[in-house]
Amino acid sequence: MAVAATPVRRRNPIVVEDERAGWVFLAPAMSIFLVFIFGSILFAFYLSFHNYALLQKGGIWPVFTDPGKTWVGFDNYRAIFKSGDFWQAFRNTTWYALGVVPAQTITGLVLAVLANRAIRGRTFFRTAFYFPSISSSVVISIIFLWMYSARGFVNYALKAFGFPTPRPVWLANPKGVVDVLLGQVGIHNVPTWLEGPSVAMLSIMMLNVWTTTGTIMVIFLAGLQGLPGDVYEAAAMDGANRFRQFKDITVPLLKPIIGFVITIGLIGTFQVFDQIYVMSEGGPQKTTTTIAYMVYVEGFRQGRGLGYASAIAIILLVVIMTLYLIQRRFTTERDTDRKVPGGIRAWLTLHLTRGGQGQTAR
Amino acid sequence: MTEKFMNRRWSTRNRIRAIPLAAAAIAAPTILRHSTLAQQVEIRLTGWTSSDAEQKLFEQILDEFRAANPDIKLTYEPIPSDYATKLQTDIAAGSVADVFYVDSLAAPDFMVNGALLELDSFMQKDSVNAADFYPGLIQSFQMDGKTYGLPKDWSSLAMVYDKKALTDAGVANPPTNWDELKAAGQALKAKAGEPRIVIPPDIAREFAFHYAAGAEVISKDGSSIVIDSPEAATALDFYYGMYKDGIATTPADTGAGWPGDALAKDFGDLVFEGNWVFPFLKENAPDLDFGISEMPDGPSGKATLAFTVSFSAYAETKQPDAAWTVINYLTGAEGMGKWTSLGLAMPARTGLSDAWLKQFPEREPFLKSGEYARGWQLGPGGQAFYNDANGDLQGLFAGTLDVPTTLKNWQKEAESRIKLGGGGATPEASPVS
Repeated sequence: MAVAATPVRRRNPIVVEDERAGWVFLAPAMSIFLVFIFGSILFAFYLSFHNYALLQKGGIWPVFTDPGKTWVGFDNYRAIFKSGDFWQAFRNTTWYALGVVPAQTITGLVLAVLANRAIRGRTFFRTAFYFPSISSSVVISIIFLWMYSARGFVNYALKAFGFPTPRPVWLANPKGVVDVLLGQVGIHNVPTWLEGPSVAMLSIMMLNVWTTTGTIMVIFLAGLQGLPGDVYEAAAMDGANRFRQFKDITVPLLKPIIGFVITIGLIGTFQVFDQIYVMSEGGPQKTTTTIAYMVYVEGFRQGRGLGYASAIAIILLVVIMTLYLIQRRFTTERDTDRKVPGGIRAWLTLHLTRGGQGQTAR
Repeated sequence: MTEKFMNRRWSTRNRIRAIPLAAAAIAAPTILRHSTLAQQVEIRLTGWTSSDAEQKLFEQILDEFRAANPDIKLTYEPIPSDYATKLQTDIAAGSVADVFYVDSLAAPDFMVNGALLELDSFMQKDSVNAADFYPGLIQSFQMDGKTYGLPKDWSSLAMVYDKKALTDAGVANPPTNWDELKAAGQALKAKAGEPRIVIPPDIAREFAFHYAAGAEVISKDGSSIVIDSPEAATALDFYYGMYKDGIATTPADTGAGWPGDALAKDFGDLVFEGNWVFPFLKENAPDLDFGISEMPDGPSGKATLAFTVSFSAYAETKQPDAAWTVINYLTGAEGMGKWTSLGLAMPARTGLSDAWLKQFPEREPFLKSGEYARGWQLGPGGQAFYNDANGDLQGLFAGTLDVPTTLKNWQKEAESRIKLGGGGATPEASPVS
């Protein structure tokens, strides 16, 4: 039989033009992203295999051919994993994330549900809750430096209500919180990894929850607007009270948004730097040194060099990526077949929008 | 009329004619500027900023320099904060100023990495003698026999106290040794009901006690770290002991930023600070009748720390001669004399100390301490060690570490961070010897 000729497949020209237009519009942002973000990551990866001090004879330009760089392979990584400082920074950052992300997610959700009700002054409350998120994190840190000082507002309020104040004072206190609490009950000699964040770290965590809850609230508010009202009516008719409605309708329907909020929360908290730099400079006895702050100190403050710092940064990248992938399994809807994984959308949002420049969860 | 001109169609010939005119119009300001200033050499000066009064006086001195040197265009661009980091990154990028301040603790790192210009040939040409400066100070900026900076001023640590508070507590004379210091602290506490000595958990103060107990950091031959020693334990026991026994407190506990702040706000009566505290006290506590006296003797005798800063030039500066002229003026007898007349620090030139003492006779204890003060420098890697060691000291004060563990940590950190045999001041350097 004659061979059937397969018809020449031509793509719909309108679709082709649309796609091309899409790429053209995307090109400026994409090129900035490729050069400054993706390119920096690749360069940091390259540097992490070198020993490279910032202070060099004749400066470090041009970097690629600078003889001051020496190839050391995986030595930096080995030194980091053996270094007590790094593990302390890792512990600090983990406690920070474990504390801040659930706190800000739950508080943001509760506030959003409350601010969604038609009460008087709703706009005022929404503005008031959101205001800390748009203020400069440095300014807030400086104000809280005063508030946490020995004669500051926090101690004053505690004393006025008859509560004891910590000694040393908040930001100078390196004792682990769990350690202190267990000590009150008489349990001593708690293992290091169980000590909890230090009192100084706790102060900074509380500050951060207060700052970022507003953004989370706004995100949830947007999500709540999209929920169908008739489901609530039906549930109310069946006798479900407000709390059950919240637990069984709101939360499950908001699952993808909760997932998104936890994602940006994790990404932001693991990279926290501003507040540490302004308030405690790595803290009493290095208990507020986070991984990102350690990168800064080792690279730029006569530490072990840019190569070492880059290695720490790459390890941070791997950690955040892993956490993100883990939490994605639990919060994305598996029944819908998405063409663009929720992850890429979150990632792009984070890096291409102002609100997402890591400032949401810091 | 102009509209007609603008609306007229421009023929190709006119367009071509217009190009050189436009280019000339755009380039004219730049060309003019360069031709009139063709003889001027540009030098950029940077440093950290301090109080407004200091900045005004410094600008005055710079104006006098500019008047005396019309062929040098001097721009002063101070760095408002985070000086060390910004300076390092500027050097790394090759865009650092030509002349800048270098702190004595940071100096070895800069010298070892070849970031500073050698000044010996310039000094010879202008007959500037290294011997005119206090030996311990200029040695902080010398390595392998070469000079990389000239000290601009210095200050040591001494005891500054509230005279009335001491007499009210029954202490007739300021303490002259550690036992008397302890007794005075107890008397002050008994009178006020709270500790009145203010000490920070910072080795930039604790080391005055460390050296006074006879402890060291680097061994005399420069080959090993000896910071963990019985003498160091004595010093640390005493320093932390004051806090533990409740006769001293930290600035953080009082709500002040630093001990001078605590003294000014009357949160404390006795602190160990340098000359920088006096302009601060004048502005913030003008009625305070304070006394000055040398640091109390330790078990091994007298010791204190000498903090100094140099003017140095960038090794790759394009105008080394002009940079030297600036440095020479600012560290010369005239420039230094004017700068130190504000009382923020003492002159680094031995010849100027008499005039300074005439102006500030009550500060003689500072000048006298020059005979035994130890330079504040720990070799290459000293700054990194300083950050690490302070972390441990904070832990000690918070009660999470004890003295032996703190010293063991210091030993480990010093061995890890300080590069021995690298240069900078020898362990024994002192300002007047």
